[in-house]
Amino acid sequence: MTNSSLTGDRTGVPRRAPGAAGDAPRPPLETQGGRRGMRPRTRSAIVTWAFILPAAVYLLVFFGYPIVSNLTMSFQDFTTATFFTGEAPWVGFDNYVAVVGSGLFAKLTANTAIFTIVSLTVTFLIGLGLALFFNRYFPLNKVLRALLLLPWLLPLIISSAVWRRMMEGETGILNVVLEGLGLSGVSWLTNPDIALYSIIIVNIWVGIPFVMVIIYGGLQEIPKDYYEAASLDGATGWRSFASITWPLLRPVVVVVLMLGFIYTIRVLDIILALTGGGPANATETYASRAYHLSFVNFEFGRGAALSNILIIVSLIVAAFQLRANKRASDLAG
Amino acid sequence: MTTHRRKRLSALAAAAALPIVLLSACASGGGGGAGASEDEELTLTAFDYYTDEPSHTNMGDRLNACAAEVNATVEHRSVPSNQYNQQVLQAIQSKDLPDILMVNNPDLPQFAETGALRPLTELDIDTSAYYESVLNVGKYEDELYGLAPNVNSLVLFYNEAMLAEAGIQPPTTWAELEAAAAALTTPDRYGFVYAGQAGTEGTWTFIPFLWSNGGSQLELDAPEAVEALEFYTGLALKGYVTTDVVNYTQADAKDQFAAGRAAMMINGPWQIPSLNETEGLEWASVPIPVPNAGDDVVAPLGGELWTVPVTDDERERRAAHIVECLNSPETQLETALTNNTVPSNEEVAQQLIEEQPEMESIVQTVSTAYPLTGDSGTKWPIVNEQISVALQSVITGQADPQTAMESAQAAVSAE
Amino acid sequence: MPHALANYSRTAIGIVIVALLLFPVYWMLNTSLQGSENLLETEWFPFDLSLEGYQRAIDSQLGNLATSLLISIGAVIVCLAIAAPAAYGLSRTNIGGRSVAVFIVLLLITQMIPGIVIANGLYPLYNSAGLLNTIPGLILADASHGIPFCILLIRAFMQNIPHSLLEAARIDGAGEVRVFLSVVLPLSRNALVTAAVFSFLFAWSDFLFALTLTNGSTVVPITLSMYVFVGAHTQSWAALMATATLASIPAAVLLVIAQKYIASGVTGGAVK
Repeated sequence: MTNSSLTGDRTGVPRRAPGAAGDAPRPPLETQGGRRGMRPRTRSAIVTWAFILPAAVYLLVFFGYPIVSNLTMSFQDFTTATFFTGEAPWVGFDNYVAVVGSGLFAKLTANTAIFTIVSLTVTFLIGLGLALFFNRYFPLNKVLRALLLLPWLLPLIISSAVWRRMMEGETGILNVVLEGLGLSGVSWLTNPDIALYSIIIVNIWVGIPFVMVIIYGGLQEIPKDYYEAASLDGATGWRSFASITWPLLRPVVVVVLMLGFIYTIRVLDIILALTGGGPANATETYASRAYHLSFVNFEFGRGAALSNILIIVSLIVAAFQLRANKRASDLAG
Repeated sequence: MTTHRRKRLSALAAAAALPIVLLSACASGGGGGAGASEDEELTLTAFDYYTDEPSHTNMGDRLNACAAEVNATVEHRSVPSNQYNQQVLQAIQSKDLPDILMVNNPDLPQFAETGALRPLTELDIDTSAYYESVLNVGKYEDELYGLAPNVNSLVLFYNEAMLAEAGIQPPTTWAELEAAAAALTTPDRYGFVYAGQAGTEGTWTFIPFLWSNGGSQLELDAPEAVEALEFYTGLALKGYVTTDVVNYTQADAKDQFAAGRAAMMINGPWQIPSLNETEGLEWASVPIPVPNAGDDVVAPLGGELWTVPVTDDERERRAAHIVECLNSPETQLETALTNNTVPSNEEVAQQLIEEQPEMESIVQTVSTAYPLTGDSGTKWPIVNEQISVALQSVITGQADPQTAMESAQAAVSAE
Repeated sequence: MPHALANYSRTAIGIVIVALLLFPVYWMLNTSLQGSENLLETEWFPFDLSLEGYQRAIDSQLGNLATSLLISIGAVIVCLAIAAPAAYGLSRTNIGGRSVAVFIVLLLITQMIPGIVIANGLYPLYNSAGLLNTIPGLILADASHGIPFCILLIRAFMQNIPHSLLEAARIDGAGEVRVFLSVVLPLSRNALVTAAVFSFLFAWSDFLFALTLTNGSTVVPITLSMYVFVGAHTQSWAALMATATLASIPAAVLLVIAQKYIASGVTGGAVK
């Protein structure tokens, strides 16, 4: 029963959602309590912070510390010897200059951009399509929807291994099928012009359930009577999507795209398992290059520098996405 | 000066290792006490990447047999080879060093440079019985850090039935190799296959061609090197080798060969057990073909070196004994027989041929082989990466051999 | 009648879509049931049915599955214990919207850090704390996959708890801890279940921490042992795929049971 009272509360104010950063103002109950004077108010704030404290400590240790040590490392000449002696001379921005100045950087940037943007766009469109498709009742809907989550459950190591086997040039099942249809086989992972897109295909496959689940949930939150009202006005199909579904879904879309971007740009396992960055660096991205610099070439400082560049790019793009959304929702009133 | 620094470091390392020693002593119930005394039983740790069976069990048994001679037991840990370096470096960083550390020879310069390895000459190991070439594999800056009881290299495997059917003799020169590869290529199979994946496996399969042609890892744009690359990649461009090799590991190449989809392959003898398990496959091997008849094949000498990390005197002493014992003729032969490697000792190697005639080609190859990083040293990581990129760009039609090698050399020189 | 027909045609389309998208999963199952070794070609159907792969998987991997289960359950507990109070704190307004916003942005930033950076940073910390190669160590590290996400998700639910309920409890004299334990938590049951499911899945599929924070011999979660399998040789595809199939079962069961929570939970958490 608590469930229904909660949903009642939520569906009653569907337009409140756009506060994507999460600080939607609400009736300030505590300030009412604050009338009793400053001290209880400060005290209650301290109690609140006490609830947050364990999480803050945890985040400091498990995220803060690694970030700081990675930053430090990126300004040092950190070699294998450093591991033993602990001595690593400071080199200022040398590592960053070396990484950005290398002949490979333009290619890495292009690969990273293509990988992230194409993956995200296609995953989003397919996920949205599936969510809309499953948003209507039909027999077996629930079962099929549950099954679609399966790709998400397979550990990436395994799905990559299966895909690599399927994409094998001569005996892989994909080419067997293509050739059976009278088409010619594709060098999925060994043609430098194609390999990046093959990896994108696998990444899309892995990402679809995530997008579908979130958007489906968003669709379920849109009250059915909105559509009924609109259909009385003659708005159905595309028009009802454009006038009701999309505007109400937008906060969800923003979150999907932002999280999707953050998760996609740092994908590493799939690349390492399918091509190892080859052929001829055709599938090397910031993430895989950072890994190779550190653990294959033992250039830890440069690896750390590239990781930091990756984080900074994520930050900038996420900030832009949030800003753009804020402006759009301001415009929408 | 360096000795002074080493001493300070080893004292530091010993102090840092103390809690760990204590901990492991408590964990094994081995009656506490800090530094180990001479007659106390010790549990030593050994770290390698022999995760595959039966190698893992075999190695563990051999380590423990050797350890029994110095009143010790060995806790044997194996980590997958592609994560091995990372794990070892982390262990070095945290001073949580194993007592016996296996190092793949191309990585020795990197690890020796850290100072975490004890030079073996300081440890009362008698190396007089070893051949110079094998000792060279374990040296960094003229100091001996590791001993390889067994070494390895690459040979040309061929499918006997397919060659017999085509009436072809196993090739010995590049011209013969190309002719054979062409003749053996049919609609259902390729004449030849090798590993070409980004990374070490793909690079070192090419090295015999580079070196046998007189090329060097540090002069990649020299005519010898360009010519080698042109010949090697040409086999793929002419259709005798699938261009899919740019994503093949050595295991993938073996799978193709074993499944009858390639008539010849470059690979190492560690694939022999799996080839023998394949029903209906008749195979044999010869040394890798050379540019001209009469040339020596210069293949990369690979081998896992056993080293002794810096711990404390007593542990190092016993570890050194175990390393020495792993290198004894008996152990060498046993390892060779179970792991398909070549004993470092030439007499033992001849003994191996008697017991396993199929190892003859590899023993022959090893006699003229050269350590994989012999000419590039600490520059190996960048050389490795650049050769790999050059190889892949030529096979995938993105560059011609000359251009590819010029840009590879430029990148190596820029380091 | 046309309406029903439209429904059934939707079902048919749905089946086709699912079949296409799940083909790799089918291929995994199919391979796991074909015993033949060292074969490059896999038959379309496992006519030559062999359970040898499963036999080998169960023989060698059962212990690792148990390790993974233990670690994942531990991670769920740590995750909820840390995330739920924090979510409650952040859903209150007495600490200022600005601090809350800053905290939430920080949570978002944690999601941008490549896993390898975290693992590298943690190694020396773990080493000095004696947490390497331990189950508690992996539990704590694996919880990091879920904590930021769970905080956001649970907070979104808690924001929607009617304040009158909390106020009523306070007027009855309940302290903040009592209010949290006996009012807020029970009301947030759905969010907590969703968060638990997700943190379980994140921990279950963790590979990076298993790889970097253990030495691969004492504490071996299932993902790590599968990696060793894949990396070593492609010889035992049947056994490998059988292990993969077994490894997917707990997660699959969990998802089916908790499916209704997931859809609403994710959306709530992601959006608000």
